[in-house]
Amino acid sequence: MNRTRIIFISIIVVALLIVGVTVLLTNTGSNSGGATLTVARPDTVTIRILTSLPVEPWVRSAAEAFNTQKRAIDGVPIQVQIEAVDGLTALGRWDRNEYGALAADQSPETLTDAERKALEKFPVAWIPDSRYLVELANAAYKERLGRDVFLTDGEYRARPIAISLFTWGVYNTRARVLEQKYGEINWDAIHNAATAAGGWPELGGEPAWGFFKLVVPNPSRNVGGLAAMIAAAGEYYDRTNISVEDVVNPEFQKWLKELMGAVTDFSSSSAYSAEDFALFGYSVGDGGQLLESDLLQNMQGILTRWEDPLTLYYPKYLTWFDFPFSVWVGPETTALQKNAALEFQRYLLSDEQQAAALAYGLRPANPNIPVDASEESLFTKWADRGVLPVVPRTTAMRSPDRDTLLALLRWFDLNVKQ
Amino acid sequence: MSKSSSRRTNGRQNRNAPWILAVVAVLLFGCAGIVVFNTIRTIVDVFTDNGAATEPAPVAGWEPDSARLTIAVSPVMAPVLSELADQFNQQGRRAPDGKSLNVEITPYDPEAMVNAALASPPFQAISPDSSLWLDRLEQQWAAADAGVAASDSAAMPIAQRRIASQQRYAVSPIVLAAWEDVARRLGWPDQPVSWQDVQQRATQDPNFKWSHASTKHASGLLAVLAEFYAGAGLTRGLTVEAATAPATLQYVQAVEGTVRFYGENEDQVVTRLREEGRNFLDLFVAQERVVIDWNRQHAGDRLVAIYPAEGTLWTDHPLALLELGQREGEPAVTANQRRTYQAFAEFLSGDAAQQHLLQAGYRPADLNISLDSPGSPFAGASDVDWRQPQTTLQMPPAEVVSVVRDYWYYTKRPTNVYLVVDTSGSMEGSKLRAAKGALKAFLAQIRGDRDRVGIIEFGSGIKDYALLAALDDPTRQRLDAMIDRMEAGGGTALIDATYAGVTTLQQENQPDAINAVVVMTDGLENESSHDLYDLQLLVRQNPTLPIVIFTIGFGEDADAATLTEMARIGGGQYRRADEADIEELYRIISTYF
Repeated sequence: MNRTRIIFISIIVVALLIVGVTVLLTNTGSNSGGATLTVARPDTVTIRILTSLPVEPWVRSAAEAFNTQKRAIDGVPIQVQIEAVDGLTALGRWDRNEYGALAADQSPETLTDAERKALEKFPVAWIPDSRYLVELANAAYKERLGRDVFLTDGEYRARPIAISLFTWGVYNTRARVLEQKYGEINWDAIHNAATAAGGWPELGGEPAWGFFKLVVPNPSRNVGGLAAMIAAAGEYYDRTNISVEDVVNPEFQKWLKELMGAVTDFSSSSAYSAEDFALFGYSVGDGGQLLESDLLQNMQGILTRWEDPLTLYYPKYLTWFDFPFSVWVGPETTALQKNAALEFQRYLLSDEQQAAALAYGLRPANPNIPVDASEESLFTKWADRGVLPVVPRTTAMRSPDRDTLLALLRWFDLNVKQ
Repeated sequence: MSKSSSRRTNGRQNRNAPWILAVVAVLLFGCAGIVVFNTIRTIVDVFTDNGAATEPAPVAGWEPDSARLTIAVSPVMAPVLSELADQFNQQGRRAPDGKSLNVEITPYDPEAMVNAALASPPFQAISPDSSLWLDRLEQQWAAADAGVAASDSAAMPIAQRRIASQQRYAVSPIVLAAWEDVARRLGWPDQPVSWQDVQQRATQDPNFKWSHASTKHASGLLAVLAEFYAGAGLTRGLTVEAATAPATLQYVQAVEGTVRFYGENEDQVVTRLREEGRNFLDLFVAQERVVIDWNRQHAGDRLVAIYPAEGTLWTDHPLALLELGQREGEPAVTANQRRTYQAFAEFLSGDAAQQHLLQAGYRPADLNISLDSPGSPFAGASDVDWRQPQTTLQMPPAEVVSVVRDYWYYTKRPTNVYLVVDTSGSMEGSKLRAAKGALKAFLAQIRGDRDRVGIIEFGSGIKDYALLAALDDPTRQRLDAMIDRMEAGGGTALIDATYAGVTTLQQENQPDAINAVVVMTDGLENESSHDLYDLQLLVRQNPTLPIVIFTIGFGEDADAATLTEMARIGGGQYRRADEADIEELYRIISTYF
């Protein structure tokens, strides 16, 4: 081979090398975390689930068991991540679109790498306290996207995973005095106790107990506070549905304000009011209408710390939380993730996990499981404290609409919280 | 090869040469084009989102993968939490990326903590003494975020929150801590003792000495709230109208006139009790755990906890993770810092940490721990009672609390204070600059219009002075101007300057006020005509007019022995400071007035 050919071939080889290297380098750069032409099969499908606080310990425990069992969808192992967040906080974040849902004119294909990366943390499902929080989140997104983001029917519909009722929990020494004075414990009796100018001595109790102290969670932090106000309104009007007109009625507002005047401290009320009840005992609250599961979970602590047990009473107008497992149906999550969420939902509704929920004081959503199905059931453990296995739901309160809830919250902000 | 064949070949080559050159040229042109295109594309990517996405944006304040969690903690809890943080750090826990999960504790006044958390704080979590402060933080944050909350498109009026998550790890009720014989004279343990009993005793018995912290601490706020309740004749439902009624304010003013001194916190009271013995105070407002801690460490007279009959408040020591990064340019809490928070929160809930807190006199948040179990400081104790308190005082709405705090400044015992400032030659330069800043910070903290402040500047003698005057705007401007004029020079006539301050306060003769001299020097006494004995005689001249002397040794060369002795003579405190913390020290001292 002569010199000219060698030079010629060398030039060709160098040129091809330069082209090859630059193409390789630039393509490597754009592929790191960016789009590919084909959808790669992931090694694991990770699903992040926002979970309201009353069911979080049970759901987290179930998720750990689920992850350990290496369950899979379409052959891909599922990893469930639980994030505890109270229902109202999560609603606020949905409302402000802090999780970063796409706009109506966006699709995952048009996103930048950074935007696509951010979507990896998007919650695949949400378990709020109550279905009315789901409706409020849908209302927020309907204005933005023109459609619901959590479905009420079909395969991906929101399904309750457990139930917990709102129940009166009153310290036993105080409950006996109230029963003697008023016959039964209801909102009217509590209102009378709350407005007794002479405090406990006037009601027949000890002077050291001071005034009657009501426990109501701060409704702007804990959706349980809203539930308590709805229940109070139901009993005040003696009916199961309340409206904005009922909330703005001056006589009702006066009655409600007198009732709220018996709450010792809204400022330090955290999301876990039943825990406050146990931690600070009767010094902060003589009684209140709180979530049955929270009360049952703290019953042992109350006995250990204060030696005065709680007695439970079921109100005439029942409110409850049903913890709907709600799968996000937008394009922010993949079909694989959505189906993985359904798989975990089925796991939570399995007989085994529904029985496990009894140890957390939660009533199973699966009707096959009675409340005494487990040896660990708190319903069995605290049967002598007034827990009822079956509660008549003939007077169940209906979920108020958005405007009524808003009216209650605004009334609270203006008249109580200040 | 023959010459003829070689020529044929060369001739063919010559004929192909233009084609070959053309192909090579096209190839080279193509290569150059691809290289240029890809290079330009890469450069463009660097300046667009695509490129930016490959590298995480640097975060100001801490590294984007930092696992070090800094927690601002109320000063009374800081020592215990520091011990627990050390134990946690020694466990060597790591994040998935290998970073060490590390906790750092930094003491903060609760009020300063809230103010810092509203801006871009140098910490990611807070632990004030009470949830009251968290509520205040959220309210102020929501007020700043009012636009979002008020938006019509919002499904619910739920404002953005500054607190991502919170939990309690220990609680302690606020009590009246009294010497046992004092408590018995008040009726303890056979009769309930109320806030009103104490207030009545204090106004009727001039020898009764009691104290509470300023309203910057939960115990001080409770004590003042109890006074407002009593003054308004209420035990719940305190309103702005009731709190600001003339009769209420008159009552609070009378009670506050009996307060021996306010302090930065209850631990300072304990320090003074340790230094001066039980005659320093008969009773003070503190957390229950102070009683347990004192009695464990001291064999002599014991303190007992009185749970006020009208009710009390709880300090509940929340640990809260802040949701940072919501504002432009503010660094966000990193994923690793969240891991550290979670791990430390779990550590605090664990049995070892909860037992540690129990032994420190707190009631642990773990409800499985019985307070009367063997080994518990509550078990079989008569100085504290785990079944108490039976009731709490109602916490009024935030608006009323704010009014109570503001009015307290105007009803509390008035203050006459002389700031005695060394501007000798050794103060030249950065020391004098720091001192000037500290003096101004002190003046900014004094809010009551009945409080009077004077300044004495000294070197070899008194260089300049401003007589006591109420801190209205013209006085503030005058004092600021005097501070600006200060120049270093001369020797150190420390005792003479202090003597002059005490003399002037005695001439003022206001026994109903807190009379104090705050002396600062960086050197050795070398020019005075008076000595310490003269100062002692002067202070003791009028026993009905106690004058407190606080002394500050500024820098390493300050005469600690003389300053300590002067503080002893004046029943005050000696503190050391350097340029970094002199301003904070003046701020702290201002809480005593």
